[in-house]
Amino acid sequence: MTNLLIALAPEAFLVITALVVLGIGVSAPKARGAITAATLLGGLVAAAALLLHPVDGNFLHGMVVLNPLARLFKLVLLGLGLVSVVFAAESFPKLHFAEALALLLFSMVGMMLLAGTEDLLMIFLALELTSLPLYILAAFAKESRASAEAGLKYFLIGSVAAAFLLYGLSLIYGVAGSTNLRVIAKLSGDPDPLLIAGIALTLLGFAFKIAVVPFQLWAPDVYEGAPTAAAALIASGSKVAGVFILTKILTLGLGHWTGTAGWGQFAPGWAPVLALMAAASVVLGNVAALVQSNVKRLLAYSAIAHGGYLLIGLCAADAPSLTAVLFYVIIYALTTAGAFGVVVIVEKQRGGSHLEDFEGLGKSSPVLALCLLVFLISLAGIPPLAGFFGKFYLFTSALANGRHLWLVILAVAMNAVSLYYYLIVLKHALVLPAPKETVPTAAPASKFLVVLLALAVLALGLAPNALIGPLSNGQTVKNIIINTLQK
Amino acid sequence: MILTATFLSAFLGAGLILLLPERRASLAKWIALLAVLAGLGGAKFAFLSFDHSPAAPDYQFLTWLPWIPQLGISFFTGADGISVVLLLLTGIIAVTGVLFSWNVTHRPRAFFAFYLIIIGGVYGVFQSFDLFLLFVFYEIVIIPKYFLIAAWGSTNREYGAMKLTMYSVAGSALVLLALIATYAVSGAQTFDLFVLSRGGFSSGFQAWAFPVMFIGFAVLAGLWPLHTWAPTGHVAAPTAVSMLLAGVVMKLGSYSALRVAMTLFPEGLGQWRTSFAILATAGIVLGALVALAQKDLKFTVGYSSIAHMGFVLLGLMTLNRAGMGGAVLQMFSHGIIGGLLFAVVGRMIYDRTHTRDIADLGKMDLLKALPFATLTFTIASVASMGLPGFSGFIAELTILKGSWIAFPWLLVPAGVGIVITVAFTLRALQRAFYPSGEPMPQSFDPITFPEKLGAVLLMAVTVCLGVFPSMLLNPILRSFQAPLMHHLVQEVTTK
Amino acid sequence: MNTNYLFLTIFLAVAIIFPLIPLAIAWAWARLFSPPKPGHEKLASYECGIDSTGPAQVQFQSHYYLYALVFLVFDVETIFLMPFAAAFLKLEFSAFLTLMVFLLLLVEGLVWAWAKGILAWK
Repeated sequence: MTNLLIALAPEAFLVITALVVLGIGVSAPKARGAITAATLLGGLVAAAALLLHPVDGNFLHGMVVLNPLARLFKLVLLGLGLVSVVFAAESFPKLHFAEALALLLFSMVGMMLLAGTEDLLMIFLALELTSLPLYILAAFAKESRASAEAGLKYFLIGSVAAAFLLYGLSLIYGVAGSTNLRVIAKLSGDPDPLLIAGIALTLLGFAFKIAVVPFQLWAPDVYEGAPTAAAALIASGSKVAGVFILTKILTLGLGHWTGTAGWGQFAPGWAPVLALMAAASVVLGNVAALVQSNVKRLLAYSAIAHGGYLLIGLCAADAPSLTAVLFYVIIYALTTAGAFGVVVIVEKQRGGSHLEDFEGLGKSSPVLALCLLVFLISLAGIPPLAGFFGKFYLFTSALANGRHLWLVILAVAMNAVSLYYYLIVLKHALVLPAPKETVPTAAPASKFLVVLLALAVLALGLAPNALIGPLSNGQTVKNIIINTLQK
Repeated sequence: MILTATFLSAFLGAGLILLLPERRASLAKWIALLAVLAGLGGAKFAFLSFDHSPAAPDYQFLTWLPWIPQLGISFFTGADGISVVLLLLTGIIAVTGVLFSWNVTHRPRAFFAFYLIIIGGVYGVFQSFDLFLLFVFYEIVIIPKYFLIAAWGSTNREYGAMKLTMYSVAGSALVLLALIATYAVSGAQTFDLFVLSRGGFSSGFQAWAFPVMFIGFAVLAGLWPLHTWAPTGHVAAPTAVSMLLAGVVMKLGSYSALRVAMTLFPEGLGQWRTSFAILATAGIVLGALVALAQKDLKFTVGYSSIAHMGFVLLGLMTLNRAGMGGAVLQMFSHGIIGGLLFAVVGRMIYDRTHTRDIADLGKMDLLKALPFATLTFTIASVASMGLPGFSGFIAELTILKGSWIAFPWLLVPAGVGIVITVAFTLRALQRAFYPSGEPMPQSFDPITFPEKLGAVLLMAVTVCLGVFPSMLLNPILRSFQAPLMHHLVQEVTTK
Repeated sequence: MNTNYLFLTIFLAVAIIFPLIPLAIAWAWARLFSPPKPGHEKLASYECGIDSTGPAQVQFQSHYYLYALVFLVFDVETIFLMPFAAAFLKLEFSAFLTLMVFLLLLVEGLVWAWAKGILAWK
């Protein structure tokens, strides 16, 4: 019992912090500094609990499972959440500020629980705990119609997806007789039609979470309409959590029905489905981003495309590919969080996030412009940044047995196309002169974090071993995620 | 270690420049000059201390450090004869480029920082023996090109910059694809060029991997018909960037095609060489023809670059010592000459007259107004035409000799290309610089000392090379005896 | 495997037909046996025999939904309390603590709602 408490200590501390923050918010709603400080303090205590007293083990029949990989992801999610908190502190509307931070904290709790579980029920609960606060946060800017639209769309589409997911998970439970992924993994033989239906519905539910075709329609509107700090967490945190848990479900629980997605070698399973979703997302995301004029919407379409790249790695379903997927999703989250951070600051200075609002950034805030350059070029996959190595690793592992050549060709081609729209944003930021003089509004903490993230992206590009090492050593991906593989 | 100093000095210089406060922005060019001089020093040292004795190893200055063991990627650099020649070229062009950019006052820190990043990337490509490392350096060059052209360029700069960058990225995408496929197929779990080139690639694989990789690299070298980015981009670019682009960056494409594509896939090369030789010759002839029709002096020079690079690619496809040695020599020679031509047109002429229209320039009597510029352009034109005594002559002659052995039927078109080159060069020179009709002499700012220094340096190099070509030819030809390239030249004897 | 598909198909068909049958019967009955014959007193809304005055459409107070929301939370809490109460004697102390934590979380929610003025009628 005490071990379980220690295992869940980080999440518990975050919940307590959220309650404390709500308390402060009710008694002293104007004390934004105190509220933010309390949040950050709580987050740091949770991080300390995660790092200082690591506990490994399997509690409650797989509902809470901790190992080095899970702890790494919890730490990453915690970090991304705290980054969003700082962004929110400097940009969120003043009304109900404490509630906003509390919601961010609850969402972080959900994400962290997702990173440490192997049980279907817990997965669904944690997923809902992640999503519901984000639905509310997306609608938080009460003066903005776009925000209301974003929140409503996110909520409605998300609820439908959650319904699909729940139905799929329950069908899988029905066939397997247990909600534990490792028990489900023991199923074999010809797949029951109910199981097929269950897997399909589960994939659709997660396709929503990761924002890939055909469930990507919410992403542009939500990223554009939601307050940018919330969009930052949606883009980075929920993507990391979603990809991680999808990887776990598919390779740990459903590894027996992988199938193959090679051209001319299709074998039935979930890999071909993922391959088709990946191909569609990569094409749609990159092509649609070409014509965007709002940077947040552009980042949303780029998120769809990146979801596609990640799914390509998942299709391949062997140890190097999965390591590459996990590496890339972390890199992507850091980069996106940083890019949204720049957008937060620009929005504060210029009042909007259209391409025209970025003009003259090189002159008014060269540090910020340089960071934006780093983030967008990393997203485009240009060395020596982390995004390049992530994509390289992903494509190399996916191609390792030569099966997914068609997917890799498509992805490399679309990746080249993507540089165009990133350069358009950078053209506005670095090349075009500012339309009129603007007084820069100070957002020092966000700026500091953005610089830190840019340095991290550069460092991980030059020395990716720092992250690949913990992800790929035998203790983690090989033994923990991959249970049975078809081929 | 000495080789690492070349690109390290460039990147460190870029970092230092970015840290400069705004009021000290004028220091940027001095830091840049120091950085490129350090790079040139390193390159020159490597060139001079390269051991040419027959017993010396083919590949010297080797550095090997593990980088990402999970993928077999290591930081593996070194140089052979071809590398030191091209490193020297980079050093010279880098220094003269900075000299010709001495008057950049609009956002100098960003300008020189991007410039140095390109230089660092180029140095890196010429010395990498790990394919991943080579690709990393190759790609580092792409983004700064965009910003340099879009922010400091002239005619149609945003369009030119985007076109150039997107073509480069498309080429890189092809290279990336072929690279990953090679890694996957070889099963060797490494990106070391020496290991991968030991081969074992099936004919079927090479039949598509070679053209994909070669075209990917050759886009940057101006292979016809994928060359249209070059004139637009070079014209739009500011002077130093045009010098860099035509002088060195295009050579990245041809060098990498030689070092990687041709070395890894000799069978594929055998199947495709005729097609690419035809395309190269088409580039020579058509590039020259289009240059003949240009009214803008910089476009003329831009298309002449295509024609000269066509020679390089033709030489590479001949697969004999004469042709390939000539190709590498032409890379060096055209680097210098192209740099000189762009320097005159951009810095000396355009910055002062604000026009590049040949007819308008002709009215300005540049012979009297800017005699040094006229002299420089005359020498550069003469070298570009391939007159003996200048570097272009030796290079083109050896390529033609190699082509005679391998593709005798292409000799006539290539020769015709040379004739047309003479035609358009003389036409441009005469109509733009020498007075005709009623000259209206104008007075311009005198040519500054940095410009004179840069021009003299480049002219000296081309003359020196024209008179003593063996200085470069020896190390170049030596490389073709080395294990990596040995089989390329042997092809012809088995035919 | 085929029988399972058959099973699903039959299930689907029955699921569609089964609710349609009473609807069809109701429609048929209404048409055949009880055709509508409206009259003033038949259609009037029930107000304990008094004639209704004033418009029927009153502005709906959206504030009701906040009460409904809070009520729903506590209703579900009550539902969770029931099995706990039923098994109370067999559970150990840690289970009691866990449920107390659950209750306290919801109580804090109530305190928050109260302090935010949600429970005051506007």
